[in-house]
Amino acid sequence: MMDDSEIRGGFARLREADRERAPSFAQTYGRARARKSWRATLRVWPLVVGAAAAVAIATIWLTQARSFSRSAATPAIATWRAPTDVLLQTPGSELLSAMPALGTSILDEMIPLPSNRGT
Amino acid sequence: MDDVELRRQLERAHADCFGWAMACCGRHRDDAEEVLQTVYLTVLDGRARYDGRSSFRTWLFGVIRRTAASERRKAWLRGLLLKREADGLEPEALAAPDAKVERDSRRYSLGYALAQLAPRQHEVLQLVFYHELTVDEAAAVMGVSVGSARTHYARGKARLATLLGDAREV
Repeated sequence: MMDDSEIRGGFARLREADRERAPSFAQTYGRARARKSWRATLRVWPLVVGAAAAVAIATIWLTQARSFSRSAATPAIATWRAPTDVLLQTPGSELLSAMPALGTSILDEMIPLPSNRGT
Repeated sequence: MDDVELRRQLERAHADCFGWAMACCGRHRDDAEEVLQTVYLTVLDGRARYDGRSSFRTWLFGVIRRTAASERRKAWLRGLLLKREADGLEPEALAAPDAKVERDSRRYSLGYALAQLAPRQHEVLQLVFYHELTVDEAAAVMGVSVGSARTHYARGKARLATLLGDAREV
């Protein structure tokens, strides 16, 4: 059976060995500080990424909205013409656009006479 | 206690704290240093306050013990503990041999014997024989009653003597 002094001796050797390989206080404390600042950076990192993503999304959205409004530019109401306006131009509509005169025929307008040719 | 005084006290107890952190981390040097870093930050940032009810070293050892336990739990959650256990049960036995083979072999046999003890027996013996605390102080560090610490001490010492005696016979 071992006595206390033998056990104490074993622990003393263990202590001596640990002291030889122990890092200095400054080293340990310095690493702790570095780790703390790194953790602080890691804590801020998601916010930075989130903010960057928000800016990117806003930029894309604004760009798309601008290009959409440019392509779908609304013309002024005074110059706007309906695409179906062409259907209103019926054959002979010009006969109705002028005032009829007495002693003339509408055929004079439509069929030029030799006397009207100026020959 | 102001920051300067606190830092001075930590610096004075550093070597002792490292030894205790080693014991709390299964003699894994990197883990012990990491625990110590966490403890120093915890203490210096004021997240753990010394209230003067025990000696500074006893209180600091308690903080180290709790931090090591917390780190162990985190490591377990990450699944690292299983890997570490699978890597081998003799943490220091793989160290490179050097000129102090005789001394190291005795140290390793003590380390091996300590690893065979129940955690509380290991802790109380480490605190009493390595750090030269009284059993009462060890009880305060371990957060158990003095009676319980005495029981662990007696049983641990008897078991350690048996293990070391067996190792010597081999």
